[in-house]
Amino acid sequence: MENYTKYKLKSKDELSSLLDGKDRLFLIACNKCFKEFETVDEPDCEAFEKLALEQGKTVTGSVKVDFLCNKVQTEKKLKGMISEETENVIVISCGLGVQTVAGLADKPVYAAANSLNYRGHHGMALTKKACGACAQCYLNVTGGICPVVDCSKSLLNGQCGGAKNGKCEVDENKDCAWEKIYERLEKQGRLAEFLAQPIQMRDFSKINHKTIQDYVTSIRENRLAGYYGGVHPLEHKEFTEHLALKRFPEPEVVVIPLSMHAGAPANPIVEVGDTVKVGQKIGESAGFISSPVHSSVSGTVTAIEVHKHATRGECLSVVIRSDKKNTLHESVKPHKDLDSLTPDEIVEIVREAGIVGMGGAGFPTSVKLKPPKPIDTVLLNGCECEPYLTADHRVLLEFADDVIFGLKAIVKTVGAQKGIIVIEDNKPDAIELLESKTADIPELEVVTARTKYPQGAEKMLIKRVMKRQVPSGGLPADVGCVVSNISTTKAISDAIQTGMPLVERVVSVTGEHIQNPGNYIVKIGTNTKELIDYCGGITGEDVTVKAGGPMMGFVLTDTNVPIMKGSNGIIAVDTDHTAEQPCIKCGRCVDVCPMELSPLYFAKYADDENWQGMKDKNVMDCLECRCCEYICSSKIPLVTKIKAGKNAVRGMK
Amino acid sequence: MKITEAFERGEFVVTAEVGPPKGFHIEHMLEEAKTYLSGITAVNVTDNQSSVMRLGSLATCKALKDEGLTPIFQMTCRDRNRIALESDLLSAALFGIENLLLLTGDHTKLGDHPQAKPVFDLDSVSLIHAVKQLESGVDLGGNELVGEPPKFAKGAVVSPCSDSVDVQLAKMERKVAAGAEYFQTQAVYEPEKFIQFMEKAKQFGKPVQLGIVIPKSVGMCRYMNANVAGIHVPEEMIEELKADKEKTKAGITGVEIAARVIKECRPYCQGVHIMAMGWESKVPELLRQAGI
Amino acid sequence: MLITELKEKEAILSLADGKKVFIINCHGCREVYFPLEEAEALQKEMESAGHVTGSITTDYICNPENMKLRLEKNMAKIEAADAVLVFSCGVGVQTISEYLEDKPVYAACDTYPQPGFQGVTPLEYDCDQCGECYLNITGGICPITACSKSLVNGQCGGSKNGKCEVDSEMECGWERIYRRLAQIGRLDLLKCPTQVRNFATDQETAE
Repeated sequence: MENYTKYKLKSKDELSSLLDGKDRLFLIACNKCFKEFETVDEPDCEAFEKLALEQGKTVTGSVKVDFLCNKVQTEKKLKGMISEETENVIVISCGLGVQTVAGLADKPVYAAANSLNYRGHHGMALTKKACGACAQCYLNVTGGICPVVDCSKSLLNGQCGGAKNGKCEVDENKDCAWEKIYERLEKQGRLAEFLAQPIQMRDFSKINHKTIQDYVTSIRENRLAGYYGGVHPLEHKEFTEHLALKRFPEPEVVVIPLSMHAGAPANPIVEVGDTVKVGQKIGESAGFISSPVHSSVSGTVTAIEVHKHATRGECLSVVIRSDKKNTLHESVKPHKDLDSLTPDEIVEIVREAGIVGMGGAGFPTSVKLKPPKPIDTVLLNGCECEPYLTADHRVLLEFADDVIFGLKAIVKTVGAQKGIIVIEDNKPDAIELLESKTADIPELEVVTARTKYPQGAEKMLIKRVMKRQVPSGGLPADVGCVVSNISTTKAISDAIQTGMPLVERVVSVTGEHIQNPGNYIVKIGTNTKELIDYCGGITGEDVTVKAGGPMMGFVLTDTNVPIMKGSNGIIAVDTDHTAEQPCIKCGRCVDVCPMELSPLYFAKYADDENWQGMKDKNVMDCLECRCCEYICSSKIPLVTKIKAGKNAVRGMK
Repeated sequence: MKITEAFERGEFVVTAEVGPPKGFHIEHMLEEAKTYLSGITAVNVTDNQSSVMRLGSLATCKALKDEGLTPIFQMTCRDRNRIALESDLLSAALFGIENLLLLTGDHTKLGDHPQAKPVFDLDSVSLIHAVKQLESGVDLGGNELVGEPPKFAKGAVVSPCSDSVDVQLAKMERKVAAGAEYFQTQAVYEPEKFIQFMEKAKQFGKPVQLGIVIPKSVGMCRYMNANVAGIHVPEEMIEELKADKEKTKAGITGVEIAARVIKECRPYCQGVHIMAMGWESKVPELLRQAGI
Repeated sequence: MLITELKEKEAILSLADGKKVFIINCHGCREVYFPLEEAEALQKEMESAGHVTGSITTDYICNPENMKLRLEKNMAKIEAADAVLVFSCGVGVQTISEYLEDKPVYAACDTYPQPGFQGVTPLEYDCDQCGECYLNITGGICPITACSKSLVNGQCGGSKNGKCEVDSEMECGWERIYRRLAQIGRLDLLKCPTQVRNFATDQETAE
């Protein structure tokens, strides 16, 4: 592995003259990037400090920072750090770091290092391959060997007369690039093609600092829109976003897990042989953080047994054979109208209807509806930022009135002044519809957010829309917000308006390996394999099936698992074959982490089983959104390592 | 003759500039120079002015010298690296060309070969430094020259009416420190700005020639105001040009304006540099009206 | 980190002219810049013309280990193609081209420099890694990247209304430097010795 480390200290003489007449120095050193990542410190800071002390200077303090050029994070890290008595700030980093600090500090800032020139080594893997970024790629005429970088003179039209024994005139250890190019082209039978091409001339007007700065500025604006970090994976929503909801045919048998929510599993209240009806409670909530479960069919309980489960491995489940009559249970009847219901009555309805967060986490909604702090705003998460999934999108389009009813119910229950429906800009039809439907409702508003993952995460959504920061370890209620999912909100509406508990949901069955992708209304407990088969089954080989989206979904090695309250999608996608490579400290994970953490340390510390280190780096704040793993250039399974760390940290208490 | 000698003698030094053609036939240009510019101290030859490719400055200087004129060899840093620049300086010395005007040069993107590589290996300050180094008998690489080193009068430019005049003064100071011996300025239309500038510039103790471009038309003035750095033609002057179209077209108004600017500025500077831009024929009349 | 732009459509199509191609998209630096829509449209067109034996979209093909793993399962389709068309930066193309040494490998993109390795979000392009940092005499504003001509001794005469002669949208770097120096009371730094750049550092430091 090549070391691309970006700077080295200036010479002792140069530093001595730099320090001449300057005193009260504060040192800031960058921990360097693009090198094999070790957590040991770089020696430059100590070397400089020693030199400064030798010259009788006062050092008012020093700090080492990762990725000093990361303006957002550096600003936070340096806050209040540079002591009052400091007269000069000395920065040991590449030019980017120096300029970042120079832009932040109100004191004179000086560079104690020179940037090293790795111009050309643009790849993420630290290999010797280089690209001159000349903006006019010549690889097509040179058999894939770069004449701009590999030839000392960057000749474009063939070898100069300086090569001797195949070596370059500038460096006898360097192969003549044009000899390599000739051999490659000859081997591929492309010499005639080479000889016939027009004379090549560089166009230097293509690269100028302004052009690049413009690119960079526009990218930065996009990337930092709303909140720090995040990524924008390919959306792949085109498979299903335009497909209207269809009802999946009545299943023969449903397997209803007693745990489809955060907290304690429900206790079964039916027995084998019992006859049950649609909407009948079959499992009772087993605590404050728990939820009841209901039958999604009418028929006979054939077993109460441990069954495979998509996220927990296995789980006690109620197996019901449907009589296909869909007889409603007598408890299923409309409640009073919204105006006559009290907040406590709504909470009770929601609890009894077994409604939990349907975005995947499954937190009991009734608990959320009794926040410990005053709430001013309810945010309805219509982002559906996970690629592929379109379930919420279709619900918004086809059940807009129900969603609005549900939102009004939540606003009333938590005593908020406002309800905001947040929709990403990749769903213009939903934005238009909801805007028109809420136009006359003063307390409701639609906000369009630029598509960016993980915008649907509560903390990001609050930051994006309300510009409020949920404190570390805190809840949305701490900043006066409640966040609800689209399908959940629709379920609340159903529970109030029809009395139907949560027994079915919308599932996107999609991905490039599903024969006929679609959005289905599916009864809870339906077998996933049956659902996939109904969609024509899986095509092709080497397919990964996931419950949920590609980012936060769970891999299903066995599709013989039931659809649950949180099953927003089943996707069948290409399997990615990768092997974990050493971390090269490229800093991308730091750049994309929406919680502004440093995931690279989690990988390192997990391997070393340094759980205290993980705790100190705030691993418990991690959302497990997988942005870091998605962007990792070394393909390190970061989320797995983070989960291990979180478990260990929980055990430390 | 070195132009610096004229300054030392206390003369009010007059120079004018010619631009080589895009081609190598310069008979017409030489004829004009001989006819209208032979009475002045020296003639500048521009170096691919405005980044437009033309006949070389050095060769044109040689041709002017052969006709008995004193050329000033303008050199920019845009097209040559330090090796070529130093080499051309030695070539100039061989031809007996003694006067230099050393500039950074417009960017390649502004000219007629925008694809060309902008070199800027050196800049105006380091080019002056390079000349001084050669004069000491050593090149920039630290190698000794063979025989007697060349000697030049080292000129530089400055924009007195720039909207960032303090930044220009800082650069001027650096040029002086690097070895600049005289300055020619960008075109001046605002004598009061020039006078203020000279109040500050006189500390450097180097002669400054007032830059003059004869205003040819309203359109030209408007264009310069919008596009040319360091130039601002006041609205009254533009009105003056508007007043009598025939008189303006004949060049009479322009020459009157230019002569007025020279007269106002003359007490504060050591010479005038006229960028005639094809109106070389008006130079004698301009100088007469200016009382030079 | 890298900015790539699609080559002209005609140039790309002429590479595939009458040939079967296998397409590789590298999205590793897509969060920085990748001409996604243009690339997709062009590839669709090529597919409908029947030129494409297969395509993959992957990331970090500059990392040879993972690149090989991902190409392996597509080898049959790659074998069936006359050429491989790579939509990536120049490093990616070269890595593929070395791995598939016997197969013509073509670049569909031009690569623009973004030399500050700063992770995904290049906050600003303001260090050209010249190897002889000038920031100490310029108040922490880089004259190499902030000035179109990369002048190191002060402003040229081309600035108008504080803007660069090359681009009227761009602020004159040396005016910024002057202001910053005035602000921190260090205009005296402009009296430092004449600076002459050392282009030899280009090679030295990278070794």
